[in-house]
Amino acid sequence: MTSTDKLLGRWINTNHETRGIAECTVAQDGDGISVKIVGVGEDGLIQWPVAKAIPLANVEEEAGQRTSALLATFDLGFMRAETHIRINKGVFVLVLFVTFLDDSGRANYVNREFFYRHA
Amino acid sequence: MQFAQLSDLVESAPIAASDIDRRALLGNWINSNPDASSIARVKVSESSGQLRVQVFAVGPDGLFDWGTTNAAVFAAGPASKVGAGFACTFNFEFGEARLQGMIMKGLLVLAQFHLFKDDRVDYFLREYFAMTHELFGQ
Repeated sequence: MTSTDKLLGRWINTNHETRGIAECTVAQDGDGISVKIVGVGEDGLIQWPVAKAIPLANVEEEAGQRTSALLATFDLGFMRAETHIRINKGVFVLVLFVTFLDDSGRANYVNREFFYRHA
Repeated sequence: MQFAQLSDLVESAPIAASDIDRRALLGNWINSNPDASSIARVKVSESSGQLRVQVFAVGPDGLFDWGTTNAAVFAAGPASKVGAGFACTFNFEFGEARLQGMIMKGLLVLAQFHLFKDDRVDYFLREYFAMTHELFGQ
């Protein structure tokens, strides 16, 4: 069995000057887990579509026992972000593999952001 | 230009996948943990512009060759031509292993997502791989 309890909640980007993801909320959604991301926009925040997450037992040594990681894919039409989420020493780590599906000429890229738990 | 985060609003000449420099990714990568019981080695190569990944996992009687699969290349940012990661999936009869690799300080950090069709628990593993080289050889 996996425990996702440590991942649940609202998480704020540790970098207050980020131009990427401002915050992330992980919630119990029936029998599953949902992930909500809020991006930084030009004139305010941008709500991403909510994604269902696949919970996985996190067996990496530094994670210790009874923790989970999440795998979630966000489909925004013009781009897809395949993400994984884990907790490392209390820090919420979000890794994004972004693929652009439009013809904007942007490079697909990987990025990592860090979040702290909102009190 | 559509974007979901300000950092994706970039102005640059169009970048094709083939423009991304993959040199930092290519090579033979060995697990930094000699006691690993998972993936022992990863070979990243290029063929006709396509990134290819071959995995050798630890088996009961030696290394187990998962074979070679195509991988998607990811840059360091939406306006970058520097290859910084890859993603690929290996399919098995009993499940699949999705791999997401990223280069950090010369190491390959490999996130592994093992998803099973049977009753085993899906699990996540993150390991570090060093590129084998001859620079310090005698």
